[in-house]
Amino acid sequence: MPDPTSIRIRGVDKSFGAGEARVWALKQADFEARPGELIMLVGPSGCGKTTLLSVLAGTLTADAGEVEVLGRRLDGLSQAELTAFRRANLGFVFQSFNLIPTLTVRENVMVPLLVQGVAREEAEARAGALLAKVGLGGREDDRPGGLSGGQQQRVAIARALVHDPRLLICDEPTSALDKDTGQRVMEMIRELSRSPDRVVVVVTHDHRIFRFADRIAEMEDGRIRRVLDDPSLIDSPSH
Amino acid sequence: MYRLALNMLFGDRAKLAMLLVGLSFSALLMAQQSSVFFGIMSWTYTPMVNIRSAVWVSDPLVEQVNDAQPMRDTDVTRVRSVDGVAWAAPLHTSILQARLPNGNFKLISLVGIDSDTFAGAPAVLTVGRIEDLRLPNTVLIDEWGANLLGRPETLADGTVRQRPLGVGDTFELNDTEARIVGVCRVKRAFTGGPFVYTTYDRAKAYTAGVRRTLSYVLVEPRPGVAPADLCARIEAETGLKAWTSDTDLWSWGERSLAKSTFWWFWRNTGIPFSFGTAVLLGLFVGIAISGQTFYSFVLENLRYFAAIKAMGAGNGVLLRMLLLQALAAGLLGFGLGVGMAQGIGRAMIEKGMPPFVMYPQVLVATLVLVLGISLCSALIGMAKVARVDPASVFRA
Ligand SMILES: Nc1ncnc2c1ncn2[C@@H]1O[C@H](COP(=O)(O)OP(=O)(O)OP(=O)(O)O)[C@@H](O)[C@H]1O
Ligand SMILES: [Mg+2]
Repeated sequence: MPDPTSIRIRGVDKSFGAGEARVWALKQADFEARPGELIMLVGPSGCGKTTLLSVLAGTLTADAGEVEVLGRRLDGLSQAELTAFRRANLGFVFQSFNLIPTLTVRENVMVPLLVQGVAREEAEARAGALLAKVGLGGREDDRPGGLSGGQQQRVAIARALVHDPRLLICDEPTSALDKDTGQRVMEMIRELSRSPDRVVVVVTHDHRIFRFADRIAEMEDGRIRRVLDDPSLIDSPSH
Repeated sequence: MYRLALNMLFGDRAKLAMLLVGLSFSALLMAQQSSVFFGIMSWTYTPMVNIRSAVWVSDPLVEQVNDAQPMRDTDVTRVRSVDGVAWAAPLHTSILQARLPNGNFKLISLVGIDSDTFAGAPAVLTVGRIEDLRLPNTVLIDEWGANLLGRPETLADGTVRQRPLGVGDTFELNDTEARIVGVCRVKRAFTGGPFVYTTYDRAKAYTAGVRRTLSYVLVEPRPGVAPADLCARIEAETGLKAWTSDTDLWSWGERSLAKSTFWWFWRNTGIPFSFGTAVLLGLFVGIAISGQTFYSFVLENLRYFAAIKAMGAGNGVLLRMLLLQALAAGLLGFGLGVGMAQGIGRAMIEKGMPPFVMYPQVLVATLVLVLGISLCSALIGMAKVARVDPASVFRA
């Protein structure tokens, strides 16, 4: 029986290029995440974190293996089905924010709702409510360019959560921010995304935010090396 | 989402300005050049407009109104005898040299009209009366020609201006005196200089030495007789060629002399080619500038399009966003360009040079082409957006 709320990945391979230049980004990777938890993916640069994240976000198709996300087998889905799956279930927070500079803060937050076909008035209201929650009430009509990095990432968090996704995916959400700002942003992700049937996966290099994780999965050479149930047990990173 | 697509474009002032420059310049060039083209082409059948006659009869060899072939004087009587003809009058047209009082020579278009009916007389006389043409050695001259044939004079305050010819002034046509008794207002023509009107009989004197002076027979159909039907009858009974005089480009009939003239100039001159080239140039410049600008707009926004894709927008939604952006820019560019073309056109119409006729059809065609350009631009951009990998959103 597929579990409609969790993530289970078994024996996933993903390579880029061909022949001599072929790079194995994932090799027989196994990974699991439980509903309600915030799990961090950590490991040295190039070990495959982003690739794994892309596979479970359905933006990248694995070469082999089983990918089960929120009760759906993603391996074997068509591009259109993957698109529909992302539309319904995913929220994204990116390292470089990826806010559209020519749109207002509110319009940026509305995008996932509008893509889902939610009516404009409702989208506006929901975006406004969430912007108030991330402490940006009153800045709705500003352009992202006028905000600080931390504020921009808060807009991105609002955008990632506005449609109440069951899987929130964050790739290096704090690495473009200074220490204190990074802490506050991570606190906000932690606080706002907490929900018994939502999974939050955060890829990070930033050991200062490890304490926000419920569990930490360490990656090495395209696979998960170990999973720590207590984040305080992790060794200080060497890189 | 589509409103956001527009906001995305309008938020980028620099790109939008570039797009509008490209599109409006293209619209301007296409609309303006086409209008000058139709203006010049309308000059080729000016005689049809000035000499208002329902039916024109000519030698069978005639293909266009400016190139009359001489006919026999007896042809007038033959035409008169055709059933359905109310009356028929002779008309002479030729190009002559006028010798001005100061000894200079200038080319003029001589029009000889029947002195009984004055058929073919100009519609508007600003000075004088048409009946004065019955006086010996008299002519009418058109306003523009009166100015052209005039001479500079220095006013009391030292300024120099052209003193137009007026009533009482004379010049010579083939050593015969021509005395101006009136000034008329007529439409400018493609060929020939100023129009000089005289009577048909006096035209024979002015063209001394020419054996046949009949160029056309102007015919008025009896009430209830359709000009085209009468033409067919005249041709069958006389072996001459008969034409209708409809001059509206979009509705002229098979027998229209204006139509035949238009297509004669189309086939035998470089006019369509040179204006066609200008219109094509406008099209290519538009495609180049707006295609390029839109492409760089898409490139600059590619990571955002990728992000929107990652959030679950399919290629169809993105294509519609791009189309909307491009078509909105196209509509704005069209409005600006055509606005400018109309501004320039109004100034041209005031000066009469070059001729300018902006048909609504030209506007529609320009709109279609500009939207076509926008469409191309959107598709060029889409080629890029369709291929962007949503996974690329994670690459910084
Ligand atoms: N699109 C791609 N084309 C070619 N090689 C790729 C591509 N994406 C990833 N790789 C390669 O796959 C390997 C894993 O990359 P990935 O981005 O998943 O690592 P990462 O753990 O996220 O690294 P970082 O910490 O630097 O972000 C790397 O060797 C990388 O060069
Ligand atoms: Mg990475």
